[in-house]
Amino acid sequence: MNKTVTINISGIIFHIEEDAFEKLSKYLSTIKGYFSKTDGGNEIMGDIEARIAEMLQSKTSAVKQVVLMADVDSVIETMGKPEEFAGDSQTNSQPEEEDNSAEYATGEPVKKRMFRDPDNKTIGGVCSGIAAYFDVDVVWVRLAMFLLIFFGGVSLWVYIVLWIVIPEAKTTAEKLAMRGEKIDINNISRTVKEEAEQLKKRMQKYGNDIKNGDYSQPRNFFDKLADFLKDFFILFGKVFGRLVGLVLLVFGVVFLIGFIAAIFGIMVPGAKSEPHELLELIFTGRPYYSLGIFGAILLFCVPILMMFYGGIKLLFRIKYSNRWLNLSSGLLWLLGIILVVFVSVRTASDFAENGRVKNTVNIAQKDTLYLKVSDFKKSVPEMSDNEEEYTHYNRHGHRYIRINHHRDYVIANVGNTPMIGGYASLRIVQSNDDKFNLYVSKTAQGPERRFAMEQARNIEYKVTQTDSLLSFDDIFMAPFSEKFWAQDVELVLEVPVGKVIYLDKNISHFIHNVDNITNTYDGDMVGRRWIMTKKGLECIDCEGLEKDTDHDDFDGLPEPPQPPNPPTDLNVNVEDANVKIDKEGNIKVKSKNTEVEIGKNGIHVDKKDKDNKEK
Amino acid sequence: MINSENTKAQMRKGVLELCILSILSKGDAYPTEIIEKLKDTKLVVVEGTLYPLLTRLKNTGLLNYRWEESTSGPPRKYYKLTEIGEQYLKELQQSWTELVDAVNKTIEQGKI
Repeated sequence: MNKTVTINISGIIFHIEEDAFEKLSKYLSTIKGYFSKTDGGNEIMGDIEARIAEMLQSKTSAVKQVVLMADVDSVIETMGKPEEFAGDSQTNSQPEEEDNSAEYATGEPVKKRMFRDPDNKTIGGVCSGIAAYFDVDVVWVRLAMFLLIFFGGVSLWVYIVLWIVIPEAKTTAEKLAMRGEKIDINNISRTVKEEAEQLKKRMQKYGNDIKNGDYSQPRNFFDKLADFLKDFFILFGKVFGRLVGLVLLVFGVVFLIGFIAAIFGIMVPGAKSEPHELLELIFTGRPYYSLGIFGAILLFCVPILMMFYGGIKLLFRIKYSNRWLNLSSGLLWLLGIILVVFVSVRTASDFAENGRVKNTVNIAQKDTLYLKVSDFKKSVPEMSDNEEEYTHYNRHGHRYIRINHHRDYVIANVGNTPMIGGYASLRIVQSNDDKFNLYVSKTAQGPERRFAMEQARNIEYKVTQTDSLLSFDDIFMAPFSEKFWAQDVELVLEVPVGKVIYLDKNISHFIHNVDNITNTYDGDMVGRRWIMTKKGLECIDCEGLEKDTDHDDFDGLPEPPQPPNPPTDLNVNVEDANVKIDKEGNIKVKSKNTEVEIGKNGIHVDKKDKDNKEK
Repeated sequence: MINSENTKAQMRKGVLELCILSILSKGDAYPTEIIEKLKDTKLVVVEGTLYPLLTRLKNTGLLNYRWEESTSGPPRKYYKLTEIGEQYLKELQQSWTELVDAVNKTIEQGKI
């Protein structure tokens, strides 16, 4: 039992055995190749096909309906090998009387085509084929291929694609074509010119046909138009195909290198880069992560390789199509899309629900609140010993994952429990009543609301108040198990109108876009006292700053006076004197010669210099 | 060295044009008919040779063709000599006779 194919030759339908079909179609395409350069090549092809149809028809009957291999062989024998009837005339070097005699004598050396060289191969004959095509020593091609392996293995991919794309030189004719005429820029530009010329001729001919109303053929206008369009696009494709091929190839190589570099950045073990860890944290567990990466590779790699494949085919005019390859690459790409979509949906669903826990912190009301950030080391007393292993450190010396500018995450072992830490942020707004109010809002995300709430509840965060000093932890901690749940802590401090806050210098990274009436940057707000007015926060002790909206010019201005810091001792240094106010409210003024002390015990004056007399 | 097969092929090709024109001068024909007639004369080794030649002759204006539906198979191209073609054939025939005479004489002389 043999499979048959239905074909149409010159409008006659034949059932032909598959192997016979392959032979016939190869034969016809070879002839086409020979006549493609000849004027009227399409007409000759048409005539030949008509004759073949006639011959095949005489070989089939109602009893024997199928065209067999033997029939095709005999047709080819009768018709002759293309080199016999087309190539033969090449030997006729004598000029004939007629001008266009050269039309059927193609008169050119065998056209060079790219093949793999099976006689000279190490692996697939790709290098030797390239060497033959460009007429260079194969050693150089192999060396280049070998060296390119070290550029992220580019040449491995290139080699595989080339192996698939370039056909092997099987027949002697193909081997000759492989070595054929030397290929150089002149040669290529010449063939492109010839093709453009051919295109022009055909257009003119078509124009003439319309003018002269050449309807000698029993075909309607639309058939002719279709034919013309087909020819036009084939020729157009020939001229621009090479250019497009070159562009595709260049882009393919660039993308390939970029992509391989990206994969190596993510995948290579030991290279603990930031995106790697971040991805690992976001995707639930390893399997999804790997699946997602695999899908992404397919999604990007397949089109890149196909660009490559198409580019090479166009550039070197390789007429060879692998249906299996096209189909499977399409399927792989589809698989890539499905995987990426699946993993994305899964991952997105992991973060689908928000959980928010909002607590009010009771704070003692004062006229002035001093806000500062407590030392991180104190809030997480025991950091793990293996910190040193981590390649990335934040300013506290811990491994961190950077998500965006304001949100860094730290993973550290507290005792033996792995914890994820993140930076909390503080907003300062006007209070609706006459009290300072502080709210802590802990958020997390998760696949379900309850889960997200639980994650949010697990976040540990501390604010402590000592007298009028509010001391914030800059880092919140949450138990960490493989997965990151987008935990975050945001604090809101409500300041009543008429009350003052002082922002310690270390709070600059902790406050976040605090509105004030002078539009001062967060970084410039610290180290100063701010009073809440009806319009918003107003600076009490930053003379000169308001006028200076340009951040960069700030360096030139004198440092504003250091504000007091009452919970500890207050020291004021003037040229020759020092004023100290301690916690008990005792005031000591020291100068070069005198020391004055004012306290519960009254005023005490200590005179060092005998020339300066005091009461 | 001169390959005798090659020379024969060249000779055949040279006269093929004349033969085709002669066949068509006796009436219109489509390629298969022309081939049948040429096969008797052993001038055509493979049929493929004919089609490029016919197309070339047609493009030079020596031949013309019309389509005729066939009862068994694709439509046939019936070739016909044009006036220029007839003129050209006459010239060719004349020079051919002269050539054959001359060649024959040369060969005869060589034999003696």
